[in-house]
Amino acid sequence: MKPSLDALRACFEGAVPSMLATCDVNGVPNVTYVSQVHYVDPSHVALSFQFFNKTRENILANPQATVLLLHPETARCYRLALLYRRTEPEGPLFEAMKAKLAGIASHSGMTGVFRLLGADVYQVLDIEAVEGADVPPPPSPRSRLASLRALVPAVNGATDVASLLERTLDGLGEQFGITHAMVLFADRARSSLYTVASRGYPQSGIGSEVPIGRGIIGVAAQYRTPIRIAHAAAEYSYGRAVREHIEASELASLLETAIPFPGLAEPNSQLSVPIIAAGQLRGVLHVESPEAQRFSWEDEDALVTLAALVGEASLALQQAAECHGEEAAGEPVRAVPPGAPLLVRHFAANHSVFLGDDYLIKGVAGAIFWRLVNAWVNEQRSEFTNRELRLDRSLNLPDIDDNLEARLILLQRRLAERQAPVTIEKAGRGRFRLSVRRPLLLQDAE
Amino acid sequence: MDRQPPVPLDDETARFLASGESITLGSRDVRCVPSLIKAAGCRVDAALRRVRVFVDRRQARQLLADIAATRAVALVVSRPSTHHTLQVKGNDAVVEPLRDGDAEVAAAHRLAFARELVPLGYRRDWTLAIHEFPVEELVAVAFTVDATYAQTPGPGAGARLEAPR
Repeated sequence: MKPSLDALRACFEGAVPSMLATCDVNGVPNVTYVSQVHYVDPSHVALSFQFFNKTRENILANPQATVLLLHPETARCYRLALLYRRTEPEGPLFEAMKAKLAGIASHSGMTGVFRLLGADVYQVLDIEAVEGADVPPPPSPRSRLASLRALVPAVNGATDVASLLERTLDGLGEQFGITHAMVLFADRARSSLYTVASRGYPQSGIGSEVPIGRGIIGVAAQYRTPIRIAHAAAEYSYGRAVREHIEASELASLLETAIPFPGLAEPNSQLSVPIIAAGQLRGVLHVESPEAQRFSWEDEDALVTLAALVGEASLALQQAAECHGEEAAGEPVRAVPPGAPLLVRHFAANHSVFLGDDYLIKGVAGAIFWRLVNAWVNEQRSEFTNRELRLDRSLNLPDIDDNLEARLILLQRRLAERQAPVTIEKAGRGRFRLSVRRPLLLQDAE
Repeated sequence: MDRQPPVPLDDETARFLASGESITLGSRDVRCVPSLIKAAGCRVDAALRRVRVFVDRRQARQLLADIAATRAVALVVSRPSTHHTLQVKGNDAVVEPLRDGDAEVAAAHRLAFARELVPLGYRRDWTLAIHEFPVEELVAVAFTVDATYAQTPGPGAGARLEAPR
């Protein structure tokens, strides 16, 4: 029986170079190494097109090609009969291959030599398991499907977006042994992603931002495609992504740079998976490891599925929160706390907020905070509903799909991490309470 | 018939072809569909520009049939630790039985392949399995080197090393 392409996915990790044979119109064969054979779907692979070379010339004239793959675990050899179909010079496939190639190049000491010009897509006409010796594969880890199944009840049991994210990140640790992970939500109006939850870092990095389109996380978001890199790849580091963005963009002042990004300084494996729900990008689930080749195809399958679950659940929970809480319960009369007043400064230009001299937050979360403390001071209110924030045009929420709940989580976490005398607590579905332990003195700075 | 004596392969090329740890041989059928195989070792006669490459018959049915039909071959020899790679081509390839010493060359190549790859992080049993050929299944593909090309990955890959004769 012929193996299926799916059964050979381990051969497409770039761990072992593959060989490619083509033939020119005069009948002269040509053999070359290919750094990357990429699995596209059960009947297609893509090869990296990096140089205008003999192979390129040959396949454009004669689309027949043969590739030889070595299984990185069993040493079995497979021969694929290929037919060149097209070249994709951009888009999700191109970006996934470009990122992977960066990892392969770095691993093989070829950084700077490899530059992806296109993803050459080939139809797989035949797969031949070449006769030969093999070695037993290493014991397979626990089935990712079983791990995913074990995680599902935790995800389904979440009653708000905050607990959904906590449960998801805890579950990744418990079920998948993934201990460095974060969730970022998209701010599409500003073309950036902000961190709302993380695990495994000395600083949570809640509130830090990554521009869409930059670094592995930003590229996964832009092209809505999972990106997996098996080795260190400096060009996909966040530090560089953010720095280049700042140098290049007029939006630089809008990007949250005061809060450092939580990622590992030198990850050797990275996997970024877009979180999509109702056809919209909601964010990115990003995991990483100091260990090379930590994440397999199976991990990618599982995390793509998990991200879909998290996306749907977060959307449903957000909507539920905004439907509930319409009837404001009897407003408790808040007492003015004793003590010296805390100066709260708000800069309208970018909605940045400072508590005393300490920077807190900016952007939409900053605008929300400013509205809340104003209501607390001027209207003596301490309870609020998600719905009233949603309907408040002065907040200028980017659009109706914006994840308001995530903004509140961000604000809540930042206040908690700064140990501010102001905190936000849940007060039932779609409701929350502002607790203030010092008098507030508000100053709107232009 | 006026036959020019062959220009010998330069020493460096001959030495590299004979010592390369990773060897791949390609051919094509009458319809220009390429075939491809990992080879088990290589011997070089620099003066005659002759190369003999050993392949496992069981793995090379298509390639051997293609050589019988078209005699066209492309041979790539590489050193994985440095990526240094050469490609040579010929159009007079024939399939021959092994000669004295060929089996020993194939056995030595298998060990050299393992020696080269283990420091790069490959498992030794894995590297040995790749070239675990029963001697009785090995045959030689012999051809005259018609052209040599630099094939080390990068923009210079594919450059012809000798002027066409």
